[in-house]
Amino acid sequence: MDNFLLQLLNGLVTSMLLFIMAAGLSLIFGQMRVINLSHGAFYLVGGYMGLTAVKQWGAFWPALLLTPLLVGAMGWLAEQFLLRGRYGRERQLQQVLLTFGVALVLSDLAEWRWGAYTQTVPPPVFLATAVPLFGLQFPLYRLAIIAMGLLLALALALFLGRTRLGAILRAGVTHPHTVSGLGIDVERVFAATFAGGVALAALAGILGSPITTLYPGLDFEILILTIVVVVIGGLGSLRGAFVGALLIGLTDTFGKARLPEFSLFLIFAVMAVVLLVRPSGLFGVEEGH
Amino acid sequence: MNKQRKSALSRRQFLQVAGSTAVALSLPGILSACRPSSASGALKIGVLLPYSGIYAVLGESITQGMQLYFEALGNEIAGRPIELITEDSKINPDVAQQKVRKLVEQDEVAFVTGIVSSGVLAGLRDYFHDNQVLCLCSNAGSNAHSRAAKTPYIWRTSFTNWMAPHAMGTWAAQNVGRTAVISVPDYAAGENNVTSFTHSFTAAGGEVVAVQRTPFPNMGDPAPFMAELSATGADLIYAFYSGSAAVTFVKAYHDFGLAQQIPLTGAGFIVEEDVLPEQGAAAQGVKSTLFWSYVLDNPQNAQFKTDFHAFAGRDADVFAVQGYDTACVIDEMLKRTEGDTAVGQLIAALDGIQFDSPRGPFRLDAHSQAPEHNMYARDVQPVDGVLRNVILENLGPIVDPGDDSMG
Repeated sequence: MDNFLLQLLNGLVTSMLLFIMAAGLSLIFGQMRVINLSHGAFYLVGGYMGLTAVKQWGAFWPALLLTPLLVGAMGWLAEQFLLRGRYGRERQLQQVLLTFGVALVLSDLAEWRWGAYTQTVPPPVFLATAVPLFGLQFPLYRLAIIAMGLLLALALALFLGRTRLGAILRAGVTHPHTVSGLGIDVERVFAATFAGGVALAALAGILGSPITTLYPGLDFEILILTIVVVVIGGLGSLRGAFVGALLIGLTDTFGKARLPEFSLFLIFAVMAVVLLVRPSGLFGVEEGH
Repeated sequence: MNKQRKSALSRRQFLQVAGSTAVALSLPGILSACRPSSASGALKIGVLLPYSGIYAVLGESITQGMQLYFEALGNEIAGRPIELITEDSKINPDVAQQKVRKLVEQDEVAFVTGIVSSGVLAGLRDYFHDNQVLCLCSNAGSNAHSRAAKTPYIWRTSFTNWMAPHAMGTWAAQNVGRTAVISVPDYAAGENNVTSFTHSFTAAGGEVVAVQRTPFPNMGDPAPFMAELSATGADLIYAFYSGSAAVTFVKAYHDFGLAQQIPLTGAGFIVEEDVLPEQGAAAQGVKSTLFWSYVLDNPQNAQFKTDFHAFAGRDADVFAVQGYDTACVIDEMLKRTEGDTAVGQLIAALDGIQFDSPRGPFRLDAHSQAPEHNMYARDVQPVDGVLRNVILENLGPIVDPGDDSMG
């Protein structure tokens, strides 16, 4: 029982990090119909920039706040100068290749700037300890990640459900033509969405880096898991991202604990089953509406 | 990234080339029958290593170790200038296949060295064998290439995977505990570690109670493995991880409080110089076996560490030692052939090469086509304020059995 609860907590840590990533990816797809293959690269760059900031200032929290803002600004620039004018269903290949190109450029720049050694952001001092839990020491920082993930989920749900911008974003997912017909500046919404989406990736990067560490190649590892989460949850759905992240985070953790040889296989098996039953994901919006 | 060191053709070299060309032209058939194996002109060495991605650090260290050695020779062996032609293997067997063809068929290198990943070595094995190209492997440790998949054309200057776990199995049973749980990445090198450690640990009276095979190459967060390792109740953990997996594994081991509960032992790469600074205090007390340590006390190592730091601007690691020793083997080999690069001559020359390396006495064993060298039991402890692998015991020389009789 202790072991089960311990693994449940481990699963929640993975789930929350995946949720923050998936929320950004899903948000971007929901509005712009662009699958952002550079999302993992923004995780990695966010982590590295956070690392530099923490080393510079010697404090975790300002880095946690400022890094996503900086990376969000990078995302805004990328949208302005690269993606703008390339929207639309007939240009999907262009978009995918473009975001893939951004991913490659970012990971090469990161390797050039931060090197190929494995690096970690030190967690804040008061969280760098452990509490006795279920027969083992459980790192406090990991508990903090669960708390922050849940808080962020709540904040995003309130933002989407209770604010005017949130209403526009929700409408953009289901009725994009009506939204532009109402005189809303869709281009500004797109820019803000992309910036916000990659800022979430950067937030996950700095939060997750004490656990995943940072190294070349991590960007694509994270990207694949994130895409799996979003596909399971349904593209464009925040609730879907949350449930998908829980499903994959827990499958991954319990898979590793009980059947480590098959844990990667299990993740994709879950995805296959979900897609067989619900082809557009658990909370996905049917195409064509 | 493609680092080439090209020197301008001097008049003397030009005359040598022209002279050998004239000789060759007067003997038609020789050149068409085999690859160029002249004993003069620039000596081209193909270096196939990862220069990007997760193993970039290894590629860089091995290259710099070689460059350091060759620089001390004035970049010349047996009167021939050395030209290293480097290619990025990207740790991908398909890419490596293309690159090795380019090196051999286009650049016409005399032989190939490098290769970090056992997967890449396995993918290239038939190419080297069928085309009779010599490969001096400076990292990949798969046991098979000293055993069932052995070919006269692949010799190793690094190690075989069997060595570190074999030494640790005996040592751990005598010094750490009687029951062990093994944790390895789920691929060939991990499996080599399981069989080797199990064999020697059992032979020394120990018992392996569980084996944990973790996803490879992407282990992800190792937290779930920690609870399972702790639950086995074993006396010790034996683990084989390197690079980023070594960092996350050792950090999680420390963060979850296993350090107070169950000692961690491993093949030396788990706490080598490339990962130790990032692991920091989490690595303190981790016991490992390897054929080298930064603090190993011998004159060659002292000189090597000083020279490497001056050359590369950072501390040496075991991969730099492997590169350095590879260059030394190349030097000895070509001295013996007097600069001739005919493959048969090169192979004959490799047999029995020995010298004093930073790792201690080094001898190429003709049976396993891999080095015989000392193994050291090490413990991570601060030395002058920096964490290093302090030598607990010199476990003496080790050589791969060349078959699976000992795990």
